Amino acid sequence: MSLPERVLVQGNEAIGRGAINAGCRHFFGYPITPQNEITEFFARELPAAGGVFVQSESEAASAAMLYGAGAAGVRAITSTSGAGWGLMQEGISQLANAELPCVIVNMQRGGPGQGTTRHAQMDYLSATRGGGQGGYKTIVLAPASVQECHDLVQLAFHLADRYRNPVVVLGDGILGQMAEPLEIRTIQFDTLPEKDWTIRGFSEREASQHNFISCGQGGVIPLPPYTSYAAFLQRLDEKYRQMTAAEVRYQSYRGEDSHLLLVAYGSTARVCQEAVDMARDEGISASLLRPITLWPFPSEIIRQRAAAGTSLLVVEDSLGQMLDDVRCAAEGRAPVHFLGILARHLPTDGGMILPDRVLEEIKKVS
Amino acid sequence: MNLKKELVYTRPRLKLGYGWGHCPGCHHPIVEKLVCEVLDEMALAGKAVGVAGVGCSFGFFGGINVDGCNCAHGAAPAVATGIKHALFGKPLVFTIQGDGDCAAIGGGYVLNAAARAEKITIIMVNNANYGTTGGQLAPTTLLGQVTSTSPRGRESEQGFPIHFPELLAPMQGVTFATRAAPFTPAGYRRARSYLKTAFQRQMQGRGLGFVELLSACPPNWHMTPLEAIQWMEDRMLPEFPEGIFKDTGGE
Amino acid sequence: MARGEIVIDEGHCKGCGYCARFCPQGCISLPGNRFSPQGYQLAIFSNPDKCTGCALCGWMCPEFAIDVYRYVEADTSAA
Repeated sequence: MSLPERVLVQGNEAIGRGAINAGCRHFFGYPITPQNEITEFFARELPAAGGVFVQSESEAASAAMLYGAGAAGVRAITSTSGAGWGLMQEGISQLANAELPCVIVNMQRGGPGQGTTRHAQMDYLSATRGGGQGGYKTIVLAPASVQECHDLVQLAFHLADRYRNPVVVLGDGILGQMAEPLEIRTIQFDTLPEKDWTIRGFSEREASQHNFISCGQGGVIPLPPYTSYAAFLQRLDEKYRQMTAAEVRYQSYRGEDSHLLLVAYGSTARVCQEAVDMARDEGISASLLRPITLWPFPSEIIRQRAAAGTSLLVVEDSLGQMLDDVRCAAEGRAPVHFLGILARHLPTDGGMILPDRVLEEIKKVS
Repeated sequence: MNLKKELVYTRPRLKLGYGWGHCPGCHHPIVEKLVCEVLDEMALAGKAVGVAGVGCSFGFFGGINVDGCNCAHGAAPAVATGIKHALFGKPLVFTIQGDGDCAAIGGGYVLNAAARAEKITIIMVNNANYGTTGGQLAPTTLLGQVTSTSPRGRESEQGFPIHFPELLAPMQGVTFATRAAPFTPAGYRRARSYLKTAFQRQMQGRGLGFVELLSACPPNWHMTPLEAIQWMEDRMLPEFPEGIFKDTGGE
Repeated sequence: MARGEIVIDEGHCKGCGYCARFCPQGCISLPGNRFSPQGYQLAIFSNPDKCTGCALCGWMCPEFAIDVYRYVEADTSAA
């Protein structure tokens, strides 16, 4: 019996290892803190794995290279943060129109603008609403551990191929920099159909007809399969409904029927787990709902909990972004409290929302 | 003597029914024709992938039987890079871009693809304005040329025209940098020859190839097609001469 | 005597005039009183006797609207 390989690595490296285990052999990316270890991992490891590493000239170029690689039918990934994430938004919109699969990792740092080089959770809205033009959706996966960095990247590639859509993995600087044990494993998913729509030179398909991929589907170029804008929008609507119905993922921690439900994701969820443990030790009925998909958001479970009278406490390292989704889901049926970035233990960019502070807030609102 | 009619010229084999619907006298369809002829002659149609930029080239690969796509404004060289590396260099990969797409918003992409010596071919169709949007100033607009955003004629305060193949020629990653003007039969022959050489260089793995092709844009120049090609003769060719500015040679 | 002939697809001609301009024999003209279904002035093969089948008109046409033929000796049947 062979033991699974276990290593102690940073979240950033776990992202890279997950991609390789998903069969990804193409990375196109640009340096930006706090994810440079991801770029450097791929530069070291991809050629040895028979893959290709290209350092792009900008994040806008990274998104365009992903577009080409996705159109050619391979699994490709990029990774970024902050202003680089901002630059990619148009590229993601184009990917969404052209219905191309790819994985985009954003290890969040403080914003807006140049912001900080350290952790924050300030790209939630742009990730879940789509920061580029036209109101597209991408599935957004939020790891909260080094293991999840590794595993969710693999899920991301599967979902990207399943829906022919870009998928975002939204981490943060803490997750990227922290080190935890990682079990290196290749996760099995359902087999997906062959990609017969790619552009690789039609002789590759032993065909005589070309494939044409467009980012102006239904509109600027109303060629089949979408000969009208309405037909194209109908397809997007249908796709996003399918994703919403089938892909919601979350974790419940310490109980399904507490008086107070914390809602937090990523590294903040790790802090909240500890705070919930501390609260329970003091006899306070608190639990944590950790969304794993930020889009589609686990609105239904929150709606149910709010309708049953549970108060909600959103803990988020921002001025209030996921807060909007929780408020929406609660439908006004329960109070929604908020503990945000201004509650960090230090005013400098290295500050964090710590378990003690969360416990203090739990007590305040219980 | 018994004579029969033999068809010696018709639309290229690779040309499909869809057409962007270019303006009368536009040379974009001539570029389609050239690409079809060269790919057919080189038997590369099934082993090629194209990327069209935003502008009057956007529908290019809907109209010819070659695998292709379009993409974000200016991004074609990066998309082509993604395709070329995804397929480990196998197929011929080329772009069709306008002068605004390629030299303005796309300038950084071209420069860096050239710096990385990407084995792709960039084809820039130069009509000295932004055609699709109604005739605005572009990087290749001539001094004195009236456009909708240089209504008094381009003055030097609005900059000078970019000569892209000349600019790229000194770069080590560039194997072939040329310009042709396929608005005359001689220019057409030259364009075809340059395209063929550019594609050959790519298949030989020599580096990045760049072919600029001049085109008329009669409605935005406020001219008839015949006036437009006269203007190309009188004004564009002196500014943008045909020729080979870099050729590192073949095998 | 003509050595070739052309057929202009009137459904596609946009009246740009390039074919007429570059025909070395002056076989094509745009008379200004013939129009396509889309309303473009048509180019017409007005001087067929001079055609050599050189196909420069075909090359120069941006609309793929010209087919060019040459007259060749027909195969003689096997004796």
